Order: sequence, then structure tokens, then C-alpha cells
Amino acid sequence: MREVLYYAPTELTEATAILADHRDKAAVLAGGTDLLPKLNYYEVKPHALLYIGRLGLSSIHNGSSALTIGATTTTADLATHHLVQQYAPALAQAARLSGSVAIQNAATIGGNIANASPAADLVVALLALDASVRLLSHSGQRDVHLADFFLGPHLTILQPDELITQIHVPLSPGKTEFLKLGRRKGQTLAVVSVAVRLQLDGDLCHDARIVLGSMAPTPLRCRTAEHLLRGQKITTDLIHQAATQAIAESSPITDQRATAWYRKKAGEALVQRALLQALDKKEVRP
Amino acid sequence: MKQQVLTFILNGEEVAVLVTPTETLLDVLRERLQITGPKRGCDDGECGACTVLLDGEPVRSCLTLALTVEGRTVTTVEGLMVKGELDRLQKAFYERGAFQCGFCTPGMLMVAKSLLAKNPNPSRDEIRSYMAGNLCRCGSYEEIIEAIQAVAAGEY
Ligand SMILES: Cc1cc2nc3c(=O)[nH]c(=O)nc-3n(C[C@H](O)[C@H](O)[C@H](O)COP(=O)(O)OP(=O)(O)OC[C@H]3O[C@@H](n4cnc5c(N)ncnc54)[C@H](O)[C@@H]3O)c2cc1C
Ligand code: FES
Ligand code: FES
Repeated sequence: MREVLYYAPTELTEATAILADHRDKAAVLAGGTDLLPKLNYYEVKPHALLYIGRLGLSSIHNGSSALTIGATTTTADLATHHLVQQYAPALAQAARLSGSVAIQNAATIGGNIANASPAADLVVALLALDASVRLLSHSGQRDVHLADFFLGPHLTILQPDELITQIHVPLSPGKTEFLKLGRRKGQTLAVVSVAVRLQLDGDLCHDARIVLGSMAPTPLRCRTAEHLLRGQKITTDLIHQAATQAIAESSPITDQRATAWYRKKAGEALVQRALLQALDKKEVRP
Repeated sequence: MKQQVLTFILNGEEVAVLVTPTETLLDVLRERLQITGPKRGCDDGECGACTVLLDGEPVRSCLTLALTVEGRTVTTVEGLMVKGELDRLQKAFYERGAFQCGFCTPGMLMVAKSLLAKNPNPSRDEIRSYMAGNLCRCGSYEEIIEAIQAVAAGEY
């Protein structure tokens, strides 16, 4: 059997140097909840494992215009942290509904993003909040909007020598909601999930975000549906139109969790419900 | 494959064991340390039979690379007994028949232990939601919930 090297650096410069050495032969390991099943079943055979849990990247800070969340912050921490609950309640809700206790204690936000599943719950909420990621390599760092990060199922613009170090969540105003429909209530991947954000000016909608999970090759911002709401007075009718439009923008597949037909039917109802429920939510104020 | 020394606290005692980089905590517990309480149901995180406490919090030992627990504290069902005395949860599960085959029990007990440490008086819904990641093929869910409620009510 081939030798596999294990690294658990405590310095970021060390970590990026190791990645630069091994390029695509190294696997980054955070919580392991996506990677370990693949290792256990020999679906991936890396030459080196780079464990990033000792880099001190598990923290949540409040800046003047954004929350800064370290890449190895766990889903359990996101679900319970007061800053996330206060400024990004949709993210806290997505965290609460993802996996189960033992998964949440290991799963990280950086892993949810890098794994790039169309069903990634945290990503759906983060897209509605206009989040961006900071990518670091031995040769420099760059900030990328999450909306520009995903290319397809498990495909992203992340280079083999890059690490996600931080997630920036702008303190965006508005009322938000995250809803998820699964085959069962606990520990289930989404058949369809939705995150919405409504920025209101009296009863006028100043700006809107509608994001769908498990409805396209990547988590999907429904930009035409968002546009329908912008500058308009929010009515039940308009909400129904926006939900229909959001589904028209999606391209779900049939898989072991649901048929494409069911996803569209259920998805439309879920978008309607999310928009209606968001209206009753407390407004997040930066 | 080259082996490395892994040192951690297992059920209150420091252990040092030789492991390879791709072994999981579950592999090391069962195959190198003969700690066979944690069970391998799926090896991909779905079933919960391998759940152990890592620094007091439940995690899947099948999804935890062994070397990542260096210096940390692991508790398995073998560590629940104190001075030959079964834990209250173990007594309640045993007396109330909260299992048939018992395969899921070590994982169920560890998650229940963590639940009661955080929330000594959980509601039925809180128990169901906290335990949702642990599957019981024999369908003993009702008895499991009742056993946890009985412990919370001080019956054990
Ligand atoms: C039983 C079970 C239930 C689940 N339920 C859900 C659910 O309901 N919703 C959901 O969204 N997900 C779910 N998941 C998937 C998984 O838990 C999440 O996607 C999790 O957030 C992944 O994070 P991790 O730290 O465990 O990732 P890892 O497995 O450590 O890594 C995942 C991938 O990302 C890469 N990576 C990780 N961190 C970085 C980084 N900082 N920079 C660059 N690359 C990185 C790794 O190389 C790997 O390719 C579930 C998984 C299991 C096993
Ligand atoms: S063996 Fe670990 S969850 Fe099933
Ligand atoms: S008792 Fe058999 S799996 Fe739970």
C-alpha cells in the first residue's frame, strides 16, 4: 500500500506550503463528514492528508460591516452562537437543520462550502446573505463572492493549492427565512431547501434574495424572481408569482431523494411559505 | 504503511497506540485497542452506532481520522461504568428493554449521556430531535425515549 502522509500544522504559512508541495495529491481535512466516507470506501486516495483543525480558524467575530467566520467553525457553533443568531438568523437555522448532533459537532462551514453539494444547507443561507470567502495560497489571497464560487456539483473555482480561511457575512438588513424539506425531519439531506431575504422600505420591497438548494447543479440564486419583487409592493399575489418564477429558473434532477416533478411542486410551495414567513420575522439591523 | 504514535485519553486513561494515517478512530478503538463498544454499522456517518464522546461531545468515530484526536479525550460506552456500577442510563435501558439486538445501544447511550449533561430535563420532542442521528434497526425508539425520560425523572 502507498504511503499516505499526515500533516496537522498549527501555522497557516505551513499549511499553504504543504498544499503547494502536494498540489492536487493532498486532501484538506476539516471535520471529515464529507471526506471520510470517501476515504473509508476508497473513492479518494490522496497521497497526503492536511488536517486544518489546529490552525486556529474556529472563531466568529463581529466587524463594523460583516461577521467574519473562521473556516473550521462547526455547524454546532453556528447554530448556537449569539452573533449568528442576531445578525444571520437564516444561517443559524440552516445549521440547526443540517445533519444531527454528532455530525454538527464535526462538520465545518468551510467544508460545507468546499464540498459544493447542490444540497449544502449552509451555502443556501450564505448566498441569501451575500457572503464571500477568503482564499489563501502560498502566493497570496483573494476574496470571492460565494455566488461566483460554484461551477457544478462538487466543482468550484478553488485551486488545489488554496484553502478557504474565512467567510464574510455582510451585516445586511432585512427579514430572512430558511426552510428545508427532507424525507424525514432529522439528519436528512434536502429534497429542496430555500433561503430568502427581503429588504423592506415600508411595504415596498427594496431588495430581495431567493436561493434554492437541491434544485440545480449548484445552490441557485433565482435572479429573475428576485427582480420581480424589487421596487414592488409586496402582496400575496406577487409572492405567488415570484415563487412560480423561482421554480422556472431551477433545473432539478430525479434522484433517490425525490423526482424532479415533486421537487418543483414542493419547491414552489416552500418558496411561497418562506417569503410569507419572512414577512413576519424580526428585521435584522446591522 | 508507516505507523505513527497516537496518544490520547481513553475512558480516563492515557493510551499510546501505533496507527496509520488513514485509520479512523473507530478502526483504532475496535481493531487496535479491542474497545468494541462502538459498532461499525455503515462507516459513512449515517447510523450512529459508532458514536463516542470527544472532549464530552458526541461525534462519529467512523468519520474521525484517528490522528486528529491527538491529546484529546475520548469516552466510549466502556467508560460509562463507574467503579463497577452501571451508569443510570445503562440501568434504565437494561431494565426497560430499550433494545432488542443491542447493536445501536452503545451509540444511543453516548448521545443520551450528552443530552442529559446539557439538558437534565428534556421534553419528548427534545429527546427525539437530539437522538435523530442514531438509528435502531429493531425499532426500539419508544423504549429508548422512555428510558431517557425515566432517568431524567430521577427513577434511576
Ligand atoms: C450523516 C450525514 C448527514 C449530513 N447532513 C447534512 C445536511 O443535512 N446538510 C448539509 O449541508 N450537509 C450535510 N452533510 C454533509 C457534511 O456534514 C457537510 O457538508 C459539512 O459541512 C462538511 O464539512 P466538514 O468539515 O466535515 O468537511 P470535510 O469532510 O472535512 O471536507 C469536505 C471537502 O471540503 C474540503 N475542505 C474542507 N475545508 C476546506 C477548507 N477550509 N479549504 C479548502 N477545502 C476544504 C475537503 O478537502 C473536502 O473535499 C451530512 C453528512 C453526513 C455524514
Ligand atoms: S458506523 Fe459510524 S455512523 Fe454508522
Ligand atoms: S436494538 Fe437492534 S438496532 Fe437498536
